[in-house]
Amino acid sequence: MRTTAKPSWTSGFALLALTLASLPVGAQNGEAATPRLASGVADLNGTWDNGSGIDFIEPVLEGDSICLAGCNDPPESGAPAAPLPPDRPRYRPEFQARVDDLDARQVDEDPVLRCFAPGVPRIGPPDKIVQRDTEIVFLYDDVSGNFFRIVPLDARGHPTDTVPGYLGDATGRWDGDTLVVETVNFNGETWLTDDGSFHTPDLRVVERITRDGDALTWRATAYDPAVLAEPWNLRPRTAYLTGIEITEAPPCIERDLGHMVDDSSHDNPR
Amino acid sequence: MTGKAALMLAIAAVLPPAAIAHHSVPGQYDPEQRIALSGVIHKVDWINPHTYLHLEVTNDDGSTTNWRLESAPTAMLRKARITPDMLMGGGAVVTVDVILARDGTEHLAWLYRIDYPGGHSYQLSAER
Repeated sequence: MRTTAKPSWTSGFALLALTLASLPVGAQNGEAATPRLASGVADLNGTWDNGSGIDFIEPVLEGDSICLAGCNDPPESGAPAAPLPPDRPRYRPEFQARVDDLDARQVDEDPVLRCFAPGVPRIGPPDKIVQRDTEIVFLYDDVSGNFFRIVPLDARGHPTDTVPGYLGDATGRWDGDTLVVETVNFNGETWLTDDGSFHTPDLRVVERITRDGDALTWRATAYDPAVLAEPWNLRPRTAYLTGIEITEAPPCIERDLGHMVDDSSHDNPR
Repeated sequence: MTGKAALMLAIAAVLPPAAIAHHSVPGQYDPEQRIALSGVIHKVDWINPHTYLHLEVTNDDGSTTNWRLESAPTAMLRKARITPDMLMGGGAVVTVDVILARDGTEHLAWLYRIDYPGGHSYQLSAER
């Protein structure tokens, strides 16, 4: 048993989730109007809380105390909610052994563990969107650093003179109220997930972003027919408008891998 | 074990693990080696992918030992509006609940929780 005092995070006090506190009144009342720019398209501008890139952080305040994880006491009755199944791409049979091998050697092979850019779609929904009629800019505050993607909307197409990159080259268009972003020109050095899900430089990712009130829904599909058995439709994610602004990311300085005693099982679920 | 305030604690891992790390916590730290330490947080490395807190523990002979306590990424702390100054607690003696490095590296631990003398606490990781 623990001998240190542990407060009950769910009893005795009114709990206040910071994420809820940061939501505008409209979102808390369940209103779902989609703001629009003067041009009539959906207004996606804003800073969007998607769980710091990982959807499990729900800070809880109790007086001056803050709980970042493990805040809720086990339910007194009933089974806890079952965890969501892994959201992973399916590979052609001849490539599964390579995925398994990389998965078994994550500590040696996963680029994100060495502070490289996560790539797309692994980086997830943008943390901030700056929008004007001709282009949209996605900004990210990731553990690997600050990243940006410029998404032209004026049908200029993908450039042909850029070096393949970790986040590729994006173009966008509107499909009704949905922003559709197609990204190509990847360098092939990122993973789709944390467990060995490699891809080729021919990866193509299509993201679909919609806004309902102060909620942003992000959907993504990864196409890489050379290695994937089928297009991978990621589980949709929802981000919420927040007043907590992103900031300059501190440097990413890896200090841990030399202390890992096995080569697998890092549990970052992205 | 260094530090007169170090106290071995038995483990009751009743809570499901919650990922809050960039890498595997169980792959680097051993939940079965859980201790409490008292000391002064004199430095916070506000870096990614993980923050590090430096805890100065006074030993029985009056010497001091610096512990490195690994914790959550900066973006997650910022989401909870936790700053380096808040973590340092104004130089007060705090109690931390940690698990030790599996590879035997001395004075390296993963931080579960900090308790401050004023009665408040920061729980930064679920139990493993």
